[in-house]
Amino acid sequence: MPGQISVTVRLFASMKEAAGTDHIELSLTSGTPAGAVWGHLPDAVQELGLPKATRYAINRQWTLPGAVLRDGDEVALILPVSGG
Amino acid sequence: MRALTSDPLDPGAALAAVGAPEHGGAAMFVGTTRREADRREVTIIEYEAHADLARQEIDRICGEARSRHGAAVFAQHRLGSVGIGEPSVVVAASAPHRPEAFQACRYLIDEIKRRVPIWKRIHYADGGCEWIDGTTRRPAGRPVRTS
Repeated sequence: MPGQISVTVRLFASMKEAAGTDHIELSLTSGTPAGAVWGHLPDAVQELGLPKATRYAINRQWTLPGAVLRDGDEVALILPVSGG
Repeated sequence: MRALTSDPLDPGAALAAVGAPEHGGAAMFVGTTRREADRREVTIIEYEAHADLARQEIDRICGEARSRHGAAVFAQHRLGSVGIGEPSVVVAASAPHRPEAFQACRYLIDEIKRRVPIWKRIHYADGGCEWIDGTTRRPAGRPVRTS
């Protein structure tokens, strides 16, 4: 469809658990930024809330929430980390 | 060095990896899984990563520690299920003099905990489990301590 792009959203930790999958394919309007992806995720994920400190990566590189997605991109939502 | 591994960590190998004849000492930090969290008994901690991004970020942090402190460094984080008391992360740094070794070691562990996309899921003895990732909620509104 013209004006639409397909992206893969990778999910981790509680978002992965809530979604029941580690990735979701979305069809979005051209020009959608990485930071807007969360609003298109299933209700079960959105019910968790989006922590303010969430970071984003496109195609395995850090990016800013305002970065515009392109067709075929893989975007990852990186929740506040807890390694160590 | 594999920055991420599902195998048990070996602190001795970490120290050996940073040893150099021109260095006067090495510092190491070994993070281990704690038996208690949120006043509940813990049985296992499970670690998950965005592996590609986590490797890149650990590599970047190691580079920063080398250039800031002139140290030889090592950093490795475990993934998967880790039993109580076992190492989940090992960092080591050696330098000509001890201040730089301590500083580099501290830098490595602090930045790994702050920046690297790895999350822990705590499994409790009472059967519950939860991810610690900023979405964790506590009935009394108490903050979740992750370190």
